[in-house]
Amino acid sequence: MNALASDLGRLLSRERVRTDPEDLYAYSSDATYYFVRGNPDAVVLPENAGEVSKVVKYAAKNRIPVTPRGAGTGLSSGCTPIHGGIVIDTKRMNRIMEINRGNMTGTVECGVVLGNFQKAVERENLFYPPDPQSWEVSTLGGNVSTRAGGPRGVKYGTTPHYVLGLELVLPDGEIINTGGTCVKSSVGYDLTHLLSGAEGTLGVITRVNLRLLPLPPVHRTAVVVCETLDQAAEMVSEIIAQGTVPSKLEFITEAGIGLMNNYISPPLVSNGEAYLLIELDGTEAQVTDDARRLQHICEVMRATDVRVIKDEREAQTYWKARVNLGPMILRLFPKMVTEDVTVPRNRIPEFVRALQNISASIGMIIGIGGHAGDGNMHPTIVFPELNDDLEQRAKEGIKQIIKTGLALGGTVSGEHGIGLHKAEFTLWELGATQIALQKRIKQAFDPLGIMNPGKIWPQEVA
Amino acid sequence: MQYLEKYEDQMVRCYYCQLCQATCPVYLEDLLETHVARSRLNLIHAAFIEGILPVTDRMKEILDRCLLCTSCTRTCPGGVALDEIFIAARHQIYQGKRRGKVRRYLTHQAMKQRGIKGLMGKLKPLADSMGLSSKDLPEPDPNPFEDRYQDVIPAKGQQRARVAYYVGCATNTLYPETAESVVRVLSRNGIEAVLPEGLVCCGLPALADGDIETAQEMIRANITALADLDVDAVVTDCTSCGMVFRTKAVSMLPDDDPLRSKAEALAEKVWEATDYINRMGLVESPGPLSQAVTYHVPCHAGLMETMAEAPRRLLKEIPQTDLVEMESPNGCCGAGGSFFTEHRDLSERIRSRKLENIKTTGTNTIITQCPSCRYYLSAADESYEVIHPLTLLNRAYEG
Repeated sequence: MNALASDLGRLLSRERVRTDPEDLYAYSSDATYYFVRGNPDAVVLPENAGEVSKVVKYAAKNRIPVTPRGAGTGLSSGCTPIHGGIVIDTKRMNRIMEINRGNMTGTVECGVVLGNFQKAVERENLFYPPDPQSWEVSTLGGNVSTRAGGPRGVKYGTTPHYVLGLELVLPDGEIINTGGTCVKSSVGYDLTHLLSGAEGTLGVITRVNLRLLPLPPVHRTAVVVCETLDQAAEMVSEIIAQGTVPSKLEFITEAGIGLMNNYISPPLVSNGEAYLLIELDGTEAQVTDDARRLQHICEVMRATDVRVIKDEREAQTYWKARVNLGPMILRLFPKMVTEDVTVPRNRIPEFVRALQNISASIGMIIGIGGHAGDGNMHPTIVFPELNDDLEQRAKEGIKQIIKTGLALGGTVSGEHGIGLHKAEFTLWELGATQIALQKRIKQAFDPLGIMNPGKIWPQEVA
Repeated sequence: MQYLEKYEDQMVRCYYCQLCQATCPVYLEDLLETHVARSRLNLIHAAFIEGILPVTDRMKEILDRCLLCTSCTRTCPGGVALDEIFIAARHQIYQGKRRGKVRRYLTHQAMKQRGIKGLMGKLKPLADSMGLSSKDLPEPDPNPFEDRYQDVIPAKGQQRARVAYYVGCATNTLYPETAESVVRVLSRNGIEAVLPEGLVCCGLPALADGDIETAQEMIRANITALADLDVDAVVTDCTSCGMVFRTKAVSMLPDDDPLRSKAEALAEKVWEATDYINRMGLVESPGPLSQAVTYHVPCHAGLMETMAEAPRRLLKEIPQTDLVEMESPNGCCGAGGSFFTEHRDLSERIRSRKLENIKTTGTNTIITQCPSCRYYLSAADESYEVIHPLTLLNRAYEG
């Protein structure tokens, strides 16, 4: 047993400190394993903020890098321990502390699985909308740390819109509480929202207070078939412009539907280049009215077909398929890279056209899809095989995609975060002055540079 | 690499989406990412394909700490047959010798003789040496099904179909009344049941040890006994046997095996008995049974939707019987064949989750189509009656 293991074992317990090569390998990356891996020197499994604090104090004293980790579903290498050190696996901190109906808030430990929290609040007839498609396993601490979002972003926004307060273990091991459980607060800098999306570079989030909504009683799903990608993109913009706000508005290509048919039951016969998968929610009257208006807009814009799915079980198979769509792509291709560039909603048609041009210019297929309703597209470059030439072309494609998105007034990342994967692009969006300011913030929180070093701001290293 | 290399293409389809964290029963207890299907798969790839990690005791522990429940396989959006890869990895590590000589011999005998009849009695001291005490396993019935029925059980009334009945080993020796229910229900519904000669264990216990060669021996013997029979279908009472015939028999035989085409044809013909009866429809309406039951879906039923759904449909046919669904009916009970005898603490924790879910239904009657689940659940609480769905249906018929 090495010194690190025995020291940490004294702080927690031997069972909750792992240093075997197999365990270190299991924690060496997130879902961007193809991009970078890094073995930690130890994995710890604390059960409360006090234990996290002890570990972080020890790490600070010994100048050891610390990488917090939720479920490891990230898409930007945010929790990949590239400088080794200690990975703090937060998944055993999984208690829902409170669901407060009177205040419509919930308080959870950071390792609570999003899907479990949603089920728990729905039993109380409440609603926690953010829905990154890894919701069945992703943790709320991870969601907050990456400002995660999903299809419901179009109507309900993303995780930070629901965060009211946090408990944070600072990089020196001290514990602070930011915000609270009030729906408004105007005291000092808004650290709660600075920490939301900090990707673990400013400390370890150990508890979260979340705002809840009343649960909409009725959900209805519709599928719109479009002849061309352009037509679908125009339709997305028009639906938003007309003031109909669906709870989900997904843009899916014919190839995407082909994969999703592994889950859609009965399968959807595809007869168009692009599909809009839409969910409406609200009261029966609202949903019926919205469905009628939506149908009208799509018909005026000459949709090939607009189908409102009556059977709720059938509708569920579409959303189950949507959850599985990303990973299913690997059934067809050995590798893919997914971006999450987000543009203003009225620029979606231009962005979709640009993506088709980029695809042609690099000579690789770019899957065009995403949460189009909130402007968040997930252009996915797929590799028919693995070789250096394709790697180079894909890299060039990513650059072009991001530059195009920014030129349209968009942002590098809508919901995945920067991590390492997109760190080189922050300069284009933020500029040198702002990056310097943000780095001074990082310096103020973490003068030793031990908290998730190398992430977001690649230049600083522990 | 004899078997693993076949899965090399599949292994790289793992996207690290981590969705197996939601369903892997071992992970849900251990909450250590090393112990989730995704990590097992990646470790196998690192050790055996890339050769960047050695096979250590810790590696063996990680790969052994898996019930082969198939939850991950059913969850994986990439369509990776994780359970088969885990079996192939155990083969790679142990080369058929995961168990000591004595235990291998006994298991082999039990598999060939379709049950543990005799072994527990005559060879009790040896059984003890295997780590199987009477506390772990139920007493075999002194009068197994194969001694009660032979040859053909004719259809009552007009014959609608003729099937071969493959009685599961555990059902044969531990729960012969289930097998009786199966043939009675078949007969009552115009289905003639043939009891073929020459059947052996389906091979799953060998697969669990990565002993693919022994499993192949069983699979070949069963194909030989079943493939050429003049029957409309082969029915079994056990979802695990059903899974082996449906999916594993084909994937575990070599590509050039002379019996392969017969295995493929047979796979299409095999049905779990509840599934088959449900598909055929009832000829005779059952009488009322005034009770509430809950349904534990055996893990291996999950690979075929109709196999998991059939009991729910059939229960609707019994007047006054209410199905009270538990939370997570598909959740593993912790048995995993004989897994629970070697991972007592882990299995008990998995089971206690299940028991909590059963408790909230307020009923003590649990139906399930797997004898291992049945034994393990009933061992937890004497007040539970755990029975096969067709036993319930038979009771409704016989009053």
